[in-house]
Amino acid sequence: MEDEEEEARALLPGGSDEAGRETRAPPAASGALQALCDPSHLAHRLVVLLLMCFLGFGSYFCYDNPAALQIQVKRDMQVNTTKFMLLYAWYSWPNVVLCFFGGFLIDRVFGIRWGTIIFSCFVCIGQVVFALGGIFNAFWLMELGRFVFGIGGESLAVAQNTYAVSWFKGKELNLVFGLQLSMARIGSTVNMNLMGWLYSKVEASLGSAGHTTLGVTLMIGGITCILSLVCALALAYLDQRAERILHKEQGKTGEVIKLTDVKDFSLPLWLIFIICVCYYVAIFPFIGLVKVFFTEKFGFSSQAASAINSVVYVISAPMSPIFGLLVDKTGKNIIWVLCAVVTTLASHIMLAFTLWNPWIAMCLLGLSYSLLACALWPMVAFVVPEHQLGTAYGFMQSIQNLGLAVISIIAGMILDTRGYLFLEVFFIACVSLSLLSVVLLYMVNHAQGGNLNYSAKKREEMKLSHEE
Amino acid sequence: MSGYEKPSRGWGFCALSPVLLSLLMAAPLGLLGEETRQVSLKVISNRLDFSQNLLHIRAVGTNSTLHYVWSSLGPPAVLLVATNTPNSTLSVNWSLLLSSDPDGGLMVLPEESIQFSSALVFTRLFEFDSTNMSDAASRPLGKSYPPYSLANFSWNNITDSLDPATLSATFRGHPIRDPTGAFTNGSLAFRVQAFSTSGRPAQPPRLLHSADTCQLEVALVGASPRGNRSLFGLEVATLGQGPGCPSMQEQHSIDDEYTPAVFQLDQLLWGSLPSGFMQWRPVAFSQKRGSRDSAMPCQSSPLHPTLAYLLPQSPIVRAFFKTQDHSCAFNLTFGASTGPGYWDQHYLSWSVLLGVGTPPVDALSPLVLGIMAVALGAPALMLLAGGLFLLLGRKRDSEYQSIN
Repeated sequence: MEDEEEEARALLPGGSDEAGRETRAPPAASGALQALCDPSHLAHRLVVLLLMCFLGFGSYFCYDNPAALQIQVKRDMQVNTTKFMLLYAWYSWPNVVLCFFGGFLIDRVFGIRWGTIIFSCFVCIGQVVFALGGIFNAFWLMELGRFVFGIGGESLAVAQNTYAVSWFKGKELNLVFGLQLSMARIGSTVNMNLMGWLYSKVEASLGSAGHTTLGVTLMIGGITCILSLVCALALAYLDQRAERILHKEQGKTGEVIKLTDVKDFSLPLWLIFIICVCYYVAIFPFIGLVKVFFTEKFGFSSQAASAINSVVYVISAPMSPIFGLLVDKTGKNIIWVLCAVVTTLASHIMLAFTLWNPWIAMCLLGLSYSLLACALWPMVAFVVPEHQLGTAYGFMQSIQNLGLAVISIIAGMILDTRGYLFLEVFFIACVSLSLLSVVLLYMVNHAQGGNLNYSAKKREEMKLSHEE
Repeated sequence: MSGYEKPSRGWGFCALSPVLLSLLMAAPLGLLGEETRQVSLKVISNRLDFSQNLLHIRAVGTNSTLHYVWSSLGPPAVLLVATNTPNSTLSVNWSLLLSSDPDGGLMVLPEESIQFSSALVFTRLFEFDSTNMSDAASRPLGKSYPPYSLANFSWNNITDSLDPATLSATFRGHPIRDPTGAFTNGSLAFRVQAFSTSGRPAQPPRLLHSADTCQLEVALVGASPRGNRSLFGLEVATLGQGPGCPSMQEQHSIDDEYTPAVFQLDQLLWGSLPSGFMQWRPVAFSQKRGSRDSAMPCQSSPLHPTLAYLLPQSPIVRAFFKTQDHSCAFNLTFGASTGPGYWDQHYLSWSVLLGVGTPPVDALSPLVLGIMAVALGAPALMLLAGGLFLLLGRKRDSEYQSIN
């Protein structure tokens, strides 16, 4: 983000540091100020981009708070792993339904500006309730907090994308999506590495560990959500201002969800859904649980375990745009998905059955996770007519959340009764099911003469011949 | 033997190797690697004073006999004796055993059949205050309270707790003089269990046992701790061999299926294999229903030589081993300053396996192997089928083309 600001300043005639930071600029920098305030100017859009990126920061930061404080949560709240994983399940439950309605709510009910502000408020309130659960030593309150947080979290991501389309369509849209995704990963990474340290500082100042320390730590973590809410308010103001000045329309998701479309979904689409669910359940619940695995099996310190737990996100931040470009240039989506799934399978096998340094496996996992996201999600657009796209994506997110909620609970139970080796074997089985679906998808696509595995060149040719 | 899992013989290479290994090594020694044994538990009482008794576990195989003699005369102690005949016997001369020079008061006959012998003595129970410990791994531990000497405990009559069905018996004791009343409602228990075949108990830490082993569970129940966050420790002494001490090993494994999140197995070996061994998972539990929530780390100090007369003496050890020049001792510490601890429910239990021969080795369970076989086999088959399907499809395409 620093680089972006630098770039923006360089673009400005006579731009100076003060122009970027102070609202009351000296007369000499008035040109720069004008550029910043002019909604049609690049500098202004970069400010908006910055706000958009920080809009999602809070929710991504707080999503993985339980993973970063796994030991502390379980100890201070006196819960077993199964109950601990309910914190993740409760986040996912509302999104099983909300994925279908997030777009509708933004387009028809609240509008993008109020929608964003409302969802940000949900995120803030959810985190505060979550933290209060710690302070009052009430685990049910923590669960409620995660539920409220979940209501805001995913819909906020939809709102964030809508803003991006509305401000950057036809300009730097893909780059903006990439940057937003990177920012989300940075939020998760910072969380993983910061929360444990923050907890120990709070512990030192309060004098003892316990549920109060946990609650206060989470409350401090909630500051990031306030930051996001401030961004939502600023964006709403700037968006309204731009509408007044440029007569720009209010952004819409354009999503039309028709649940009856589900019966028209083709076999390849269902296979894509299975790949998606089986793959992601072996990633997110795994990251939520794996910190103790690194300390116990590999003898890592708590700090080192946090660092390695965040490496998946660290790698994903820069690699997502790169892999996106790669898949765009080469096509052959199924082959890329196959590579990603096989690599993930290999890294889970490494973690389960070897004592090799887990950095290798986790780096591979980070790479394959980024590659899969870039190759899998665009495939939906190839197998679904454009008017059903909204329903298809909504459905995909919905069952992904359903899978995450259910598997989170099951993973916690497995860990409590059977240990990490069995948990890893369970994840291997999930990824294997995903792999099976990829191979099936390849065969079905091949048999039906589908376009999923065309190279980018062939797709271009098809498009041209279609136009002719 | 309900409540015990059947051994997983015949599954995979891992399960076979220890059995094979022990069979191979059993040939010269003739005492190891028996699949099943006739196990009998017998209480040998002093006819003059029935409160004084020994627990004799005799495990008879086809061509060997193992004797475990447990005693609460003095500090709790156990003798491990392995002989290469199915007919060896234990002889106890109570008047000699209780005299000031017990030499020869306890013998395994015939003496020349003895292949291996050693002893363990549980000498002291430590208590530390953990409140000001910054880190679990930091040593020395916090302030320590005066230890309880287990030689000054009074123990129950072992006959009452003898259970022939489960082949188990429990020594339960409390200090003879207890001025602070810490043990008014509490006790320290040594539960001993022998096995006639291999298997795995249902209770964590679910150590894999064989017919050559017996399990000891040490449980401290209901005693009032002297601090708010007291940690307890146990001092264990054994006999040195020649100038050195038995070796302590820490094995790391990938398998934590039976003790979730514990990837380490600690072993004490009395010599080059196969000989006597002590095997335990570095975990203790703060609740009767041991689970991951109540698991506490168990740290063991290295073995250090110590002069025998500095430790409380066990008459059976002195009687069996005529000259006992030096002992080795080590300490076990249960729990850490954070996490579950004795303070939760005033309960602490730790289990250890004692045996002669090759220590049991955990193997991947059939369920894990089965799931892995399906999870890797199915996509591999599918890929193969897919490859064939593509090849054939392409061939047919080219045939059509040639006709065209």
